[in-house]
Amino acid sequence: MSEQAVTVEAFHHHDEEGTRLGFWLFLFTELLLFGAFFIVYGVYRSAHLNDFKIAAESLNTGIGTTNTIILLASSLTMVLSLNAMKAGRVKLAKSMLLITMGLGTTFLIIKGFEWNAKFAHHLFLQTSAAIAEGKGSPLLTPGPEMLPDGQVLFYGLYFIMTGTHALHIIIGAVWMGIVYFWISKGSINPDNAGVLERCGLYWHLVDVIWIFLFPLYYLVA
Amino acid sequence: MNTKEQSFSPRGSIIVFSALIFLTIATVLLSGLDIGNAGALIIAMSVAAVKAGLVLYFFMHLNHEPLIFKLFVALAIITLATLFLLTFSDYAFRGIA
Repeated sequence: MSEQAVTVEAFHHHDEEGTRLGFWLFLFTELLLFGAFFIVYGVYRSAHLNDFKIAAESLNTGIGTTNTIILLASSLTMVLSLNAMKAGRVKLAKSMLLITMGLGTTFLIIKGFEWNAKFAHHLFLQTSAAIAEGKGSPLLTPGPEMLPDGQVLFYGLYFIMTGTHALHIIIGAVWMGIVYFWISKGSINPDNAGVLERCGLYWHLVDVIWIFLFPLYYLVA
Repeated sequence: MNTKEQSFSPRGSIIVFSALIFLTIATVLLSGLDIGNAGALIIAMSVAAVKAGLVLYFFMHLNHEPLIFKLFVALAIITLATLFLLTFSDYAFRGIA
């Protein structure tokens, strides 16, 4: 083999394992992002234990449990999609991916209803500009109706943490749509399923984060 | 990973999924018990840790990855745990001295 041929081969070499390890490194940064949220939650919870419990009572455990089961089911269908792809059953892999997207969307719709119920009770995230214009919620703005500090903190953290998580669900679902398109085109196939695998890893991590969000907001009231 | 000869076998994943659902229902039922704040938090977080472990190990295929992957994940978790430990030990002792 000539030296040039060796170089060309080296250039086209694709290290699937290295790519996967690199993707795990990215997932660790996600872990740190949510880890910081969890630290803030932990510190404020210990400082305002009773207020956190009172505010958490207002969250619906049934809705939280339903969403947890939906997300776990979506993790199962995601694994099955990759299994099917690696077994050469492309059609099954596509169906499983579509179901996963559907379950992710269902999660978001339920989350949307849940947030809406909170908005109806004048609980939402407000900017300092909105407060300055007098558009803030009386429950969250200094005044006679304002909730205790701990409850204001709880709802703020609830919207920020479930919101950041929901953003990840949206990114995951959009990514699945792109992967679905690439499978249809044939560029993702049983011999080249790395993108589907990494999309799955991302989706499972989003599930892992929800596994911790769920008890902290819906169970330890 | 050699992928060609692999056959589609959903059994293992369905068993893991069933365990996850069981743990979810268990943790919801256990949260109804009146065992005080610390106890409830420890139980809820322990169940969550087991569930997360199942997802990481089986769904994220750490069971099929080489040792270096497992070491990396362990290191990431230890780093996060250290951050938690340092922050909370700081807050726990504020206002005492």
